[in-house]
Amino acid sequence: MAIELQQVSYIYSDRSLWKQTALHNIDLSIPQGSIVGIAGATGSGKSTLLQLFNGILKPTEGTVKVLDVTLQAGEKSPKLLALRRRVGLVFQFPEQQMFEETVEKDLCFGPLNFGMSLEEAKERARKAMVDMGLDLSLLERNPFRLSGGQMRKAAIASVLAMDPEIVVLDEPTATLDPVSRAELISLLERLCREQGRTIIIVTHRMDELLPIADRWIVLKEGQAAFQGSTQELASDPSILERCGIAIPQSLRYWRAVADRFRLEGEVPRLTPKALAEFIASLSSDISHPEIEKRDNHE
Amino acid sequence: MIETNRLQNLEASEQPAVITLSGVSFGYDPKQPIFQDISLTIAQGQWVSLVGANGCGKSTLVKLLNALLPKSDGEIVVCGLQLNEENIGSIRQNIGMVFQNPDNQFIGATVEEDILFGLEGLCLEPIEMGHRLQVYTDKLGIAHLLDKHPGELSGGQKQRVAIASILAMEPGIVIFDEASSMLDEGSRNELLDILQRMRAEGKYTILMITHDADEILASDRVLALYGGGLAADMTPAELFSNDDLLDKCNLRMPFSWQLARELQKVGINTDVPASEKELIEKLWP
Amino acid sequence: MSSEKLLLGRTIETGSWVHKLDARGKIIGMLLYVAVILLSHSWPAMALLAVFSISVMASTRIPLKYFVKAAKPLRYLMLFIFIVQVLSIKEGEVWLTLGSLSLHQDGLRLGAFSVIRMLFLVSFTALLTFTTTPGKLNQGLEGILSPLKKIGMSPDRLTLMIGIALRFIPTILDESQIIMKAQASRGADLAELPLKEKARMLVSLLVPVISSAFRRAQDLVYSMEARGFRMDAPRTRYHRLRWGLADTVFICMFVVMGLAVAIL
Repeated sequence: MAIELQQVSYIYSDRSLWKQTALHNIDLSIPQGSIVGIAGATGSGKSTLLQLFNGILKPTEGTVKVLDVTLQAGEKSPKLLALRRRVGLVFQFPEQQMFEETVEKDLCFGPLNFGMSLEEAKERARKAMVDMGLDLSLLERNPFRLSGGQMRKAAIASVLAMDPEIVVLDEPTATLDPVSRAELISLLERLCREQGRTIIIVTHRMDELLPIADRWIVLKEGQAAFQGSTQELASDPSILERCGIAIPQSLRYWRAVADRFRLEGEVPRLTPKALAEFIASLSSDISHPEIEKRDNHE
Repeated sequence: MIETNRLQNLEASEQPAVITLSGVSFGYDPKQPIFQDISLTIAQGQWVSLVGANGCGKSTLVKLLNALLPKSDGEIVVCGLQLNEENIGSIRQNIGMVFQNPDNQFIGATVEEDILFGLEGLCLEPIEMGHRLQVYTDKLGIAHLLDKHPGELSGGQKQRVAIASILAMEPGIVIFDEASSMLDEGSRNELLDILQRMRAEGKYTILMITHDADEILASDRVLALYGGGLAADMTPAELFSNDDLLDKCNLRMPFSWQLARELQKVGINTDVPASEKELIEKLWP
Repeated sequence: MSSEKLLLGRTIETGSWVHKLDARGKIIGMLLYVAVILLSHSWPAMALLAVFSISVMASTRIPLKYFVKAAKPLRYLMLFIFIVQVLSIKEGEVWLTLGSLSLHQDGLRLGAFSVIRMLFLVSFTALLTFTTTPGKLNQGLEGILSPLKKIGMSPDRLTLMIGIALRFIPTILDESQIIMKAQASRGADLAELPLKEKARMLVSLLVPVISSAFRRAQDLVYSMEARGFRMDAPRTRYHRLRWGLADTVFICMFVVMGLAVAIL
């Protein structure tokens, strides 16, 4: 497991200035090398949960295990700097954290903080640019001169430059146009499938993540209301509605087809292409007596 | 669907024009114009989507209409008023704008103060302000939030407040500048509902900058900006059938359109379904 | 507790007569109260001050513990002032001698006065923010400053500035917190670094916070202008300031108190 939470609660202290949602008794596990989507209505505690993953917040109850580091409530935590390098946390609108005069310097900020040499940091920066599909010529540019989509990718690259094993992103595609969103999601998918990193994404737009996510965690009022594979979620998406989330179109269309033929245990087809091909295969079978029989039987 | 949209267009075009642009250009640097020589007319009561890739100048273009930014060249007429120094005030009264970031357009320290900000500027009598406060907070479903601070509201609620603040000023034209892009799925659906109700009322001309396929589909007409000019003026259905234009504007088809397209590819010819239920009924009657 | 509440002072609605007073009256009353405190120099005056202050506080129907809480952050400062007064004033009867230190009656008395004054000053003026929303407070301030218009100054600008600052300071603090966490996630944890490094890291915090504040300011200007706002243009008010008999009575109370403590 890349991340394991056991009976974790997080309560903000009274003195805290910032109004955020507390978490209650969360048990969850995130397998290494998987893509996990986290969904939840506004104020369900998504941001708080993410901050537990790299020790920015420490649990007030329970145990958080991240890679080989264990954070236990009430115990003195081990040195967290090393953990923060291994768990890259990308906040919402990450381009707002860029501050150096060139993209390269900004990308080197993380690696240098974690004690790498300048040479090594620059190498990491170049690699991160490639991973985010950005042209290396942009390294010399002022980050504030990039286009919106480029800035977002460069900011994510500034976290990737630390070479984290786990990458946690809070709504990475927010306010991007549809093409840039799809592009970013597929870049993130490659980080997982080709490089074996664990990718955790909080999203308001489940449709764009559903086709690639392995697992989902759905939060409601600081508790984990659902945890399981995309297939399990697709078999009963009504849990989303109970958590105040609109059911994504891909799930609605899939359910309509699956319910029509009372399909159970079928791998969900969540892209228009996959669904169309599946419908075609059903339609060619439809005259087939077996389907008819199954249809009438139940 | 294409037919109904056309019909609405036809009806709308009989209405008087409320926005007319002729030969409008803009550039911070005159040598590098962001767009040039844009001419268009929008009729009263129309719901128009303005689309285009990021950085193509959509947001800049709508800001010229009420002189938030100064046009470099050309003529703009809004509600029969030529845009010039003297008319700015009256034109701004006719145009309401809802922006992208729910936080940054919340001017008052409470919901009530935010709505009053515009009304007090119109120099209305307190009785009239009280009346409008009630009408528009009821309409947007935020009457119970009057004394809330922005920090206590969700993004969707803040956008409703922004819309209430704008509508309470009773403008004829309402511009939405990517107003849904920072909202979650549920709030975006709610915003679409609000827009549909506004259209049904018939007193608003809506100009909406958006990337959202469902929002575009709901509108009557699409204007596409590309390469510093107006690349297309068509119905949403025409836009979604034009791959080249979708590419240029960084847009995607709505899910149902993509599905119909993919079904055609595998030899199942079906119209674009309005819902998943309709699809099932059509495929397997 | 949200940041707004903390910074704006918390308005506690009970609907008492003090809540209903004109904000101008309350601001003037508070200024007079400061004068009353400065004029109180004797035990009888202190006693009268206490009785008066506590009865006014009680009449707001806000639990007294909230007023005490308002003064709590200053408890060490009060203690410090008391000790300084006690040790530095060497007049009056000696009560106690400890080596070179001696406690004089006057020192104790003046020290106690200072603490009592400060306590009442802070907790009583909290009444203003407890009973008046920031919007009304700002409007009251504008009303009081309106004579300045005659000499060509613009109090509306000042109050608009205060209003926007009060509205956006919490938002910007909130954002600073997030940026701090984001940079900590990139290995720049201000809490875990030596001082010299801290200074360097401050840049990574300040640049994003400031550039974002400018962005917000630009957005805000657009949305204010789009709603027809022009500086110094005439405006009407929904909530009119209404000076009533109660407001005059409120002010007179403080004047009478001032005279009384001055005599005592």
